[in-house]
Amino acid sequence: MTTADSHTGRRLTARGAKTRARIVAAAADLMYIQGVGGTTLDDVLAATGVSKSQLYHHFDGKDALVRAVIDHTGERVLRRERDALGHVSTISGLRRWRDALVLNNALQHGAYGCSLGALASEVSDNDDLARQTLTQLFGEWQGLLADVLRRLQDSGVLSSEASVDQLSTGLMGAVQGGYVLAQTARDVTPMAASIDMALAHIESLSASSRQTISQISARDLSPGFDSSAPVA
Amino acid sequence: MTTHFAEVLARESACLAGVTSGAKLATWRRHVVEELMTPQSPYALAFQQSGDVPDREDFLDQWRELLAETVGRLLQSNATRATHCPTSRAPRADVDAQKTAVLILAALHGGLTLSQLANDPRPLNAALDLALVPFAVTEDNTPARTGSKLPT
Repeated sequence: MTTADSHTGRRLTARGAKTRARIVAAAADLMYIQGVGGTTLDDVLAATGVSKSQLYHHFDGKDALVRAVIDHTGERVLRRERDALGHVSTISGLRRWRDALVLNNALQHGAYGCSLGALASEVSDNDDLARQTLTQLFGEWQGLLADVLRRLQDSGVLSSEASVDQLSTGLMGAVQGGYVLAQTARDVTPMAASIDMALAHIESLSASSRQTISQISARDLSPGFDSSAPVA
Repeated sequence: MTTHFAEVLARESACLAGVTSGAKLATWRRHVVEELMTPQSPYALAFQQSGDVPDREDFLDQWRELLAETVGRLLQSNATRATHCPTSRAPRADVDAQKTAVLILAALHGGLTLSQLANDPRPLNAALDLALVPFAVTEDNTPARTGSKLPT
């Protein structure tokens, strides 16, 4: 059985596809922990045990491997986000999404960054193709948030005057920035606070929000999760 | 890298100390967006994510403190004004200054990542709009949104 490689268009045998997937998964892990700049092809060879000729059979060089890592990571993150956001239609549903995001980040071996955001901050200057792919992936993620906000508008929770595109972009910024702050502090607390405040601000734009807002502020907004709880 | 941190903190310390109204907050925000969107400015360089920089945590902590002081001051002065003029559209006193400062800092980082990716200041502005909702200093349709210089 053969499958086509999405970038090179080369036909791959089942065994070739497996080797390629192993290289991409290992490279994605290394780049997440060490950064794109801090990961060499030799690191990838060492981590996978494949030969140099096998690696070059699948990838022309590091740029091609980085693009494959972006595809791989994007697919994983978006699958997670589609599952998490696809049916959310309430503010409390958005809070549960935030809880899962923060909790999962606390369990990521102390790396604390967004795997997609980290790629965005490192490759965007150098590689237009990678940048386009990342723009598309972030666009799709933001689209999922915009869909949630539209459902909030449909049910009258969010004012119909609010710009859903603006707010979903803003929320995406708060999420990505929250990851960066968590990574720097090696602690998810600032990420939790940042998304909580962004959601509180969105809620403050809702039709009858004053009461709810004061309730949220009174709540303890520091990470309201139990690190021993099972992952959502 | 450390010198960029010091320069940004020195400038922010001076700028934010003068922010005593929503209008001045809007001016501060336009200035920061302009700096961040200028490649090689100390702000843009200080926000570069490559490498593990030990001083970054300290830099972000200090900037957050400056932001929290400013937010607290604005909330306080608006609460006082609201007592005299209950119908005025003032920021709510129940907003948490520390957490708002965290969100502003996150909006600057996350918004910049998205803006650099898209080569467009709009995501950064949208992130700041959301972070500054209690102060209602959105930037719709102003030149700052398109990244061009403001008329003087």
